[in-house]
Amino acid sequence: MYKKPLLLLGLAAASLAQLAVPGWMIVRREITLREGELFKFSTAPVDPADAFRGRYVWLRLEPDRVTVPGGAAWPDNRRAYAVLAADANGFAKVIRLDPTLPSDAPAIPVRVLWSDSRTGEVHIRWPLDRFYMEEKKAPAAEAAYRSRSRRDNRDCHVTVRVHDGNAVLENLFIDGQPIRDYLNVTGKSY
Amino acid sequence: MNPKMIEWLYGELPGLVATGVLDEASAAGLRAHYGPLAPRRSGRLAVLIFGILGAVLIGAGVILLLAHNWDDLTRPARAVLSFLPLLLAQGLAFWVLARRPASGAWREGVSAFLFLAIGASISLVAQTYNISGDLPAFLLTWSLLGLPLVYLLDAVVPGLFYLWAITEWTCHVRWTDGYAAGYWLLLAGLVPYAAVLLRAGRYQPRPVVLLWAGCISVAVAAGTTTERVLPGLWIVLYAGLFALMFLAGEFWFGEGEGFWVRPLRHIGAGGVLVLAFLLTFEWPWHEVGWHYHRWALVADKPWRLLPDAVLGGLAPLAAIVLLATTWRRKRPLGLVMGLAPVTAVLGYALASGTHAGMAAGLFDLYLLAAGLWLLATGLRISSRSQTNIGLLAVSALIAARFFDTDLDFLLRGLLFIALGVAFLVTNLILIRRKGAAHV
Repeated sequence: MYKKPLLLLGLAAASLAQLAVPGWMIVRREITLREGELFKFSTAPVDPADAFRGRYVWLRLEPDRVTVPGGAAWPDNRRAYAVLAADANGFAKVIRLDPTLPSDAPAIPVRVLWSDSRTGEVHIRWPLDRFYMEEKKAPAAEAAYRSRSRRDNRDCHVTVRVHDGNAVLENLFIDGQPIRDYLNVTGKSY
Repeated sequence: MNPKMIEWLYGELPGLVATGVLDEASAAGLRAHYGPLAPRRSGRLAVLIFGILGAVLIGAGVILLLAHNWDDLTRPARAVLSFLPLLLAQGLAFWVLARRPASGAWREGVSAFLFLAIGASISLVAQTYNISGDLPAFLLTWSLLGLPLVYLLDAVVPGLFYLWAITEWTCHVRWTDGYAAGYWLLLAGLVPYAAVLLRAGRYQPRPVVLLWAGCISVAVAAGTTTERVLPGLWIVLYAGLFALMFLAGEFWFGEGEGFWVRPLRHIGAGGVLVLAFLLTFEWPWHEVGWHYHRWALVADKPWRLLPDAVLGGLAPLAAIVLLATTWRRKRPLGLVMGLAPVTAVLGYALASGTHAGMAAGLFDLYLLAAGLWLLATGLRISSRSQTNIGLLAVSALIAARFFDTDLDFLLRGLLFIALGVAFLVTNLILIRRKGAAHV
C-alpha cells in the first residue's frame, strides 16, 4: 500500500508508543515508591483469582466508608481524592474528600460508590485491591491472609506509598511480618 | 469461472486431443481463453492459518511464563522482563517488514503476536506493581496501541483483535453506567483499511473475515452504546440495523457464491428473523414508548442522546430508503426482510399507545408472512436452505403460540408430530426433485 521506508518509520513510531505506555507506568510507580509518604492500611477479608495476570491475594482496604465534611452531598459513582492523615498508630485515616488533587496533603484517587444521607457516611472503593505473588505461593498467602483478617482476629495490614496523587501497594503484613517471611517462618514451603 | 473447473478442464484437454475430440488448435484456443492456472490457494491458506496459530500459541506461552511472577527476581528485573515479549515481537515485525513484506503468513502471524504482546507487557507491569484492574482503560489503551499494526503490516488478524477489544470495552463501560459512544470513533479507525480491502476484492477471505467480525461487533455495540432513556428503542434500532445489513448485502455483495462470503446478508437475515420471533411475544412491548421515557437520566447532559438519535433514527430510515430501491429492482426477498423496520416502527407506535398485544400480533403476522414466503419461494427455486428457514420460522411461531395457551399435552404432541412430518416431507420432495434434475 505505502512505500517501505514510510512503513518502517511508522512501525518505529508505533513501537515507541507501545514501549512508552508500560515504561511510563513503571517510572510513575518507581518515583512513588522512592519518594512517597508511607501509610499503613488495615484490611478486611475477601477472595477470587484473575487468570490473566497470574495469582494474587485479593485485599480490601479499610476504611471503606468514611465520615467527612459534606459527605452526604457526594453523587454516586464519582471519582474523588481521599485526603489522608495518619492516626496515633500510623494507620491511614481519611480527613476529607476532594474533587481534584489537593496540593497541601497526600491523597489517593478513589471512587465514591454511594453516600448514606441518613448517617452522612460515604462508601468508597480504593484503587488498591491486589497483591501479586508467585503462582504457587499466592493461594497459601491468601489462606493465611483470610485466617488472620477475620473480624475477631485482625492482624493484617498493607503498606502504601503515596506521592503526587499516585498510590503503590508496597507490602502485605501478617502478624507484623511481610507475607513472604511469614510464609517461610510458618513452614509453609510451597 | 471457478478455478477448480479450469483446472479440471486443463486436465482433460490432453485426453480429448489424443482421442480426436478436439484438435491442438482448439485446445490451445481454450488455454488462451481461460489463461494460466492461478497458483493453488489452499496451500497458501493453510500456511497462513498455521502461521497465525503458531504465533498466537508462542505468544501466549511467553506471556504465561512471565505471569508466573518469579519471586526470586527483584522488582526492577521483573519490570525489565515485562518488556521482553513486546521487544521480541517488535523485532520480528521490523524483520518481516524489511525482509518478508510479501508474505501474508509472516505479516499476519507476527502482527497477531505483537498485538498480544502489547497487552501482555501492560499486564505484567501491572502485576509487578500490584496495580488494580481498570479493565476498560486497559482495553482502550491496548486497542489503540495495536490499531496501527493493521495498516503498517497490512494484516487482518490485529484488526480482529482490535474489534474484539473495542467491543469488550463498550460492554464494560456500559456495565459501569459509563458513556460508550466512543465505540463508533474507535470503529471508524478500522474503516479505511476495510474499505481498501473490500475494494481490492470483496469476496476474498481477508475482507470477508473482517466483515463477519465487524457485523457481529456492530450488532453488539448498537445496543450497548445507546442510553436507556427511551424504553424499547432497541426494537426499532435492531429491526433497522439488521434489515439494513441484509439489504446492503443484497445490493453490494449480491454475486458472492456460498454462505461464508456474504456475512451482511446472513447476519442481517438471521437477525431479522430471530428479532421478529422475539417480538411476537408480549413482554418486549410492555412499558415502552414516550410515556415511559427516563429523561432525568441524561437531563444534565443531553448530548449523550446523540447515538440514540442517530442509530434509532437513521438505521431504520436508511433501511427504508434501501427498501424503496429494492422495490424498483424487483428483489422480493429484500422486500420481505426490508419490511421489518416498517413493522417495528408501527408496532412501537401501537405499543406506545399501550396496545402491547396488538404490536405482538403485528409481528405474528409479519413472521408468518415472511416464513410462508420463504417456504413457498424456496420450494419453487428448489433451495433447501431457504425452504427450511421458512419452515423453521413458521414452526417456531406456531410452537410459541401453542405454548402461550393452556392446551393439553395430547394436542401439543400432535402439533409437534405434524411439524416434524412437514419438515421431513418437504425435504424429501426437494431431494427427489434435485435427484430428478440431475438424471
